[in-house]
Amino acid sequence: MRKHPVVQLLLIGAIGTAIGLPIALAIPWFPAQAATQAHRIDTLYHVLLIVSVPIFVGVLSVVLYSVWKFRMKPGEEGKDGPPIHGNTRLEVVWTAAPAILIVALCTYAYTVLHANEVTKPGERTVNVIGEQFAWYFTYPSSPGKSVVTQQLYLPKGQPVVFKIHSRDVIHEFFVPAFRLQLAAVPGITTTLRATPDRLGVYSVVCNQLCGNGHATMRATVHVLTPAAFQAWLAKQPVQPSPGYSFSSTGGGAPAPAPAPAPSGKAGNGSATAAAGKAIFTGSGGCGACHTLADAGTTGAVGPNLGIRLVPDAKKRGLPLAAFINESITKPNAFIAPGYPAGVMPQTFGQTLTATQIQSLVAYLASVTK
Amino acid sequence: MLIKLRAPGWYRAALFDVIGFAFAFGLVVLIRTLMHEHPVLDGYAITTVALIAVPLFFLVGLGVADYWFYWAAGKRTRPEDHSAHGARTWRDYFRVNTDHKVIGIQYVVTSFFFLLIGGLLAMLMRAELAQPGMQFVTPEQYNGLFSVHASLLIFLFVIPVFAGLANFVLPLMIGAPDMAFPRLNALSFWLLPIAGLMMLASFLAPGGSFASGWTAYAPLSTSLPLGQTFFTLAVQFAGASSIATALNFLVTIITMRAPGMSFFRMPLLVWANFSTSLLVVIATPFIAASQFFVLLDRALGFQFFNAFVGAGKNGNVIMYQHVFWFYSHPAVYIMMLPGFGIISEVLAVKARKPIFGYRMMAFSLLAIVVLGFTVWAHHMFVSGMAPWIRIPMMVTTAIIAIPTGIKVFSWLATLWRGVLRLDTPMLFALGFLTMFTLGGISGVMLAMIPFDIHVSATYFIVAHIHYVLFGGSLFTIFAGVYYWFPKMTGRMFDDRLGKLHFWLTFIFFNITFGPMHLIGIQGMPRRVADYAQQFATWNLIISLASFGLGLSTLVFLYNMVASWRGGPRAAANPWRALTLEWQVSSPPPIFNFDAVPTVVGGPYEYGVPGAVHGIFKSPAEARPTGTIATSPTPE
Amino acid sequence: MEASAISHAEHHGPPPAHRSSRVEAPLLGMLLFIISEVMIFGAFFTAYFFIRVVNHNPWPAPGTTLPEAVAGVNTAILLSSSLTLHWSLVSVKSGNRFGLKAGIASTFLLGLTFLFVQINEYVHIGFAPYQSAQASIFYGLTGLHGAHVFIGLCLLLMVTIRAFRGHYSPESHRGMEVPGIYWHFVDIMWVVVYTTVYVL
Ligand code: HEA
Ligand code: HEA
Ligand code: HEC
Ligand code: CUA
Ligand SMILES: [Cu+2]
Repeated sequence: MRKHPVVQLLLIGAIGTAIGLPIALAIPWFPAQAATQAHRIDTLYHVLLIVSVPIFVGVLSVVLYSVWKFRMKPGEEGKDGPPIHGNTRLEVVWTAAPAILIVALCTYAYTVLHANEVTKPGERTVNVIGEQFAWYFTYPSSPGKSVVTQQLYLPKGQPVVFKIHSRDVIHEFFVPAFRLQLAAVPGITTTLRATPDRLGVYSVVCNQLCGNGHATMRATVHVLTPAAFQAWLAKQPVQPSPGYSFSSTGGGAPAPAPAPAPSGKAGNGSATAAAGKAIFTGSGGCGACHTLADAGTTGAVGPNLGIRLVPDAKKRGLPLAAFINESITKPNAFIAPGYPAGVMPQTFGQTLTATQIQSLVAYLASVTK
Repeated sequence: MLIKLRAPGWYRAALFDVIGFAFAFGLVVLIRTLMHEHPVLDGYAITTVALIAVPLFFLVGLGVADYWFYWAAGKRTRPEDHSAHGARTWRDYFRVNTDHKVIGIQYVVTSFFFLLIGGLLAMLMRAELAQPGMQFVTPEQYNGLFSVHASLLIFLFVIPVFAGLANFVLPLMIGAPDMAFPRLNALSFWLLPIAGLMMLASFLAPGGSFASGWTAYAPLSTSLPLGQTFFTLAVQFAGASSIATALNFLVTIITMRAPGMSFFRMPLLVWANFSTSLLVVIATPFIAASQFFVLLDRALGFQFFNAFVGAGKNGNVIMYQHVFWFYSHPAVYIMMLPGFGIISEVLAVKARKPIFGYRMMAFSLLAIVVLGFTVWAHHMFVSGMAPWIRIPMMVTTAIIAIPTGIKVFSWLATLWRGVLRLDTPMLFALGFLTMFTLGGISGVMLAMIPFDIHVSATYFIVAHIHYVLFGGSLFTIFAGVYYWFPKMTGRMFDDRLGKLHFWLTFIFFNITFGPMHLIGIQGMPRRVADYAQQFATWNLIISLASFGLGLSTLVFLYNMVASWRGGPRAAANPWRALTLEWQVSSPPPIFNFDAVPTVVGGPYEYGVPGAVHGIFKSPAEARPTGTIATSPTPE
Repeated sequence: MEASAISHAEHHGPPPAHRSSRVEAPLLGMLLFIISEVMIFGAFFTAYFFIRVVNHNPWPAPGTTLPEAVAGVNTAILLSSSLTLHWSLVSVKSGNRFGLKAGIASTFLLGLTFLFVQINEYVHIGFAPYQSAQASIFYGLTGLHGAHVFIGLCLLLMVTIRAFRGHYSPESHRGMEVPGIYWHFVDIMWVVVYTTVYVL
């Protein structure tokens, strides 16, 4: 039985959607979800997919069907199509249907936005300061005094409000696991709200081009249990709160001279052992868990890297550098005997750039030989 | 020799370059001496002034302004003998020429040159990104690469190539002998290579090329080395060029249509360029201003963007973004609407059907123009601007999907039950339909604020950019270039190579830019030379595919060059199209029409037995109805 | 105009285009160009708005004053130049060549005076653009306008020269009408700039 072309088309569209939609929804789109905001945003995205796939499949089906059915066949070289100039009813439909869809989507997106940004009781304020090319986080304690760190530590389940500042150019405070980002703008304070809801270590990325070291302007956020967080905070030294602007020029004229390219800032360019040491003790946060004589760290959660690396690499049967690289990016590929699996964060492969990891490997290999 | 130096042309241009540089040098020294600045010789200042002066002197030397100088001085203007009209040898393309057909080809070829350069820079970027870690370039070089890549492709490729195609076909389509202001038209063209070469020259500046992205956000752009000044000024030249062309198009369309060609008998390409030109005339001054601010901050120490002056906040950093995007969002439609016009032409002719819903097609163009001015802050959802602005911007942004949807659906309806000629222009048009829909849909997703807050400035954006600009604009450009190639060159292209080009491009394009959606959502930031290990596999695949994409361009190049030199002669109307440009010989005669044609029907009456669009009798014989009577044009 | 009319007779050129609009091309072109110009001022006013209103900066910057009176006189000068320009245009239409020449020359001189006073104001104003964002905006807006006065003066100079060389006639005076529109635009724009920068 020959069906009407429109019926055939609808059938193809429906089949296409039935195949396309599950595939689109099955793709593991998102990184770890670590804040209540992230759940809502992921759901929003899935809804957007459910709306978009049929639209795209629809357009695609019409094109493919037309190519299949209406393409010029031999002997039709002089033939023209029927002179159809329009169809008012159809045009109204394809104006109104997207309009309704859009109103619905905007309303839904607005509710998500509102839920994500609404002020919650008991918020803890954390100041975020961006500077070429590092992040600083300060936790106000008494007036004028704060705890200042280069790593972000947050208690699970407690809403935080980030007050974001910049000291030079625009940066952007981005935590993919929270699905949140906001610019750090010189001269003003911007506000971002998050409620972390999953323990773990996630990356903080600078997501606004801010100069040569932009790609390396990373930090980590550690979501701890409230008790562990309090313990951590109590251990930190309290300092006078830092200002948000660099020493002002006092109204004088900046010399209109070419600014020298700020090169050689922390961590960009080639991988070096010296940079690795800085990451080990600084932004990587390795020293918190590992003892390493050369770096002067005394953590006891993980093995003492100074003495364990060489023998463990032999056990694993890998060259030292490869073993270190593997241990950082895939800690669970080999568990150091006597230590628990899954404690060393699995996320360094994401939170650190490849150059940073190379630096760490270079450093660790050089001090454990 | 002296005569050569005095006559307009390259020799005089070279001489004037030298004079221009001396002028800049002298001016800076003079002013710095008067202001008691030390040292008197400041290379930075001299370069800045020279970047303004030398191009202007160059233009005068080349001869774009001779006529105006005579005219302004009240002297007898040399009657234009039109020996420069039309191009007889390839050398004529390197002269100041006022023939819109020559200018059109000059535009198209120049823009494609910059496409190749811009694409080559993309190849370098992809080589660096193939693996995590730093391999070939330093971070500052990488920042320079994508900045120049995007700036060239936007300001020197997509925008001007559309202007070039329209320059060639638009006067023909409306039955005009030339553009309204032919000399201004020549000036617009010659501003372009200046802008492009200036951007490229920034690679030679101390400190490297400009490296703040094509968006050049302050205050990063006010603090970068000298190369940034090259961008700031090049954009002024490119902007002046687009404004001048847009003005020219608007005046041409309004005042020079053939008798009988009412607005609703204009081909949609004309409508599209009309809308685009409105956008250009209204929006482009904003990017000029944004770059003036940056230039003033950089060169004269103004404080527009210094938020740390004296005691506290004083300059406003976000102001830059508002001003910039007030141009640059409309700019994305400047880069799309002419493409919509091309697609309408190609689809109607190749499906042998009238455009479905012609009037709605025209109105939706105008709707996009109006809406385009109300959405700029969707680029600033995470910029720290006042949060409430986001909501109206989300709504207006999403609404743009409606007029765009009308267009897409009308094109689909045009295909329906047509007799589809699946040759190269048509394949690119169909590729455009699907790929642009994909890019547009990801745009609507981006309009949803909470989602944008996650993916802004990730590779999801890079994916969107390329789906709309490559899958959208570039596909329409390819369609248009193939479609009008016979008209422009008088030769046919090789359709088999064209199809090969299409399929290679289509496939590699999707492998290159499709996965970017995924790694973007997973959190890979844009504008980084180095990235986390977890993205390594996808990036390798993307890089390999992008090399394939680059190579597929070579097929196109070969086809164009070989066919232009030795392709079979093209008939006047190989596609059996109705619009006027196909009713004259290929390539068209020097003055387009011997007599102004008279338009008696719509442009897309395919399938209507005996339909005509224009008739080539003198207006006296075919008296039009309802238009102003012909009168001799005063100069 | 005359010159090009002759040239049309002397050589063969493209056939004349059909005129599909009552508006003449040069006039329409100038109007569209003025739209562009309005937008560029709009962008500078955006900057003004952000720095003065959004940022709540005091206006003018603390410790500086703006010479409203001098600028007021200057405003009067510029506005009167619009009148002389109009006089000149009316004269040419009625065939009064003296009025044409005197009008256009005085317009040019008044414009020049305006520019001169403006530059003097810069010299004596007592602050520099780099001292504050407000100062930057002040110089930015008035400087942008000054640049337009300069362009306008160049156009007027052309018209003046051509007027003295015997061009323009009651039938053909597009060549001065179109630059004239530009000059009126420059004047009106100054009123807006003056109001926002000095008065408000
Ligand atoms: C040709 C260029 C072009 C075009 C046409 C578009 C079209 C659109 N763009 Fe895009 N955009 C860019 C080029 C373009 N864009 C570039 C270059 C950037 C990055 C700038 C930078 O930062 O460097 C960008 C960035 C960008 C952002 C900012 C993201 C960010 O930085 O955080 C947003 C957010 O809203 C956006 C949205 C849209 C929308 C809604 C459209 C709409 O116009 C799309 C409309 C089309 C459709 C929707 C498809 C067809 C319609 C249907 C089939 C009807 C049914 C559909 C629905 C009901 C959904 N774009
Ligand atoms: C029309 C616009 C356009 C086009 C056509 C392209 C084309 C391409 N783009 Fe581009 N791109 C942009 C506009 C465009 N891009 C914009 C606006 C940005 C944002 C920039 C920013 O962040 O500021 C961007 C950013 C951008 C990025 C992100 C950079 C980053 O954020 O870090 C990447 C990464 O892969 C990329 C890749 C490519 C590739 C592989 C192509 C390929 O399609 C290119 C294909 C190659 C060719 C067509 C040339 C082939 C030539 C040869 C093979 C040699 C010929 C020989 C000689 C010249 C001697 N682009
Ligand atoms: C939260 C605690 C913690 C942090 C932070 C941490 N590690 Fe570990 N690390 C461990 C534990 C526990 C082990 C042992 C289990 C295993 O091998 O996975 C380990 C194992 C290792 C090993 C393998 C040692 C061996 O001999 O098998 C290396 C190498 C290593 N870590 C390097 C690093 C580096 C580099 C960093 C910082 C970028 C770091 N670690 C951060 C807890 C941590
Ligand atoms: Cu800071 Cu990018
Ligand atoms: Cu936009």
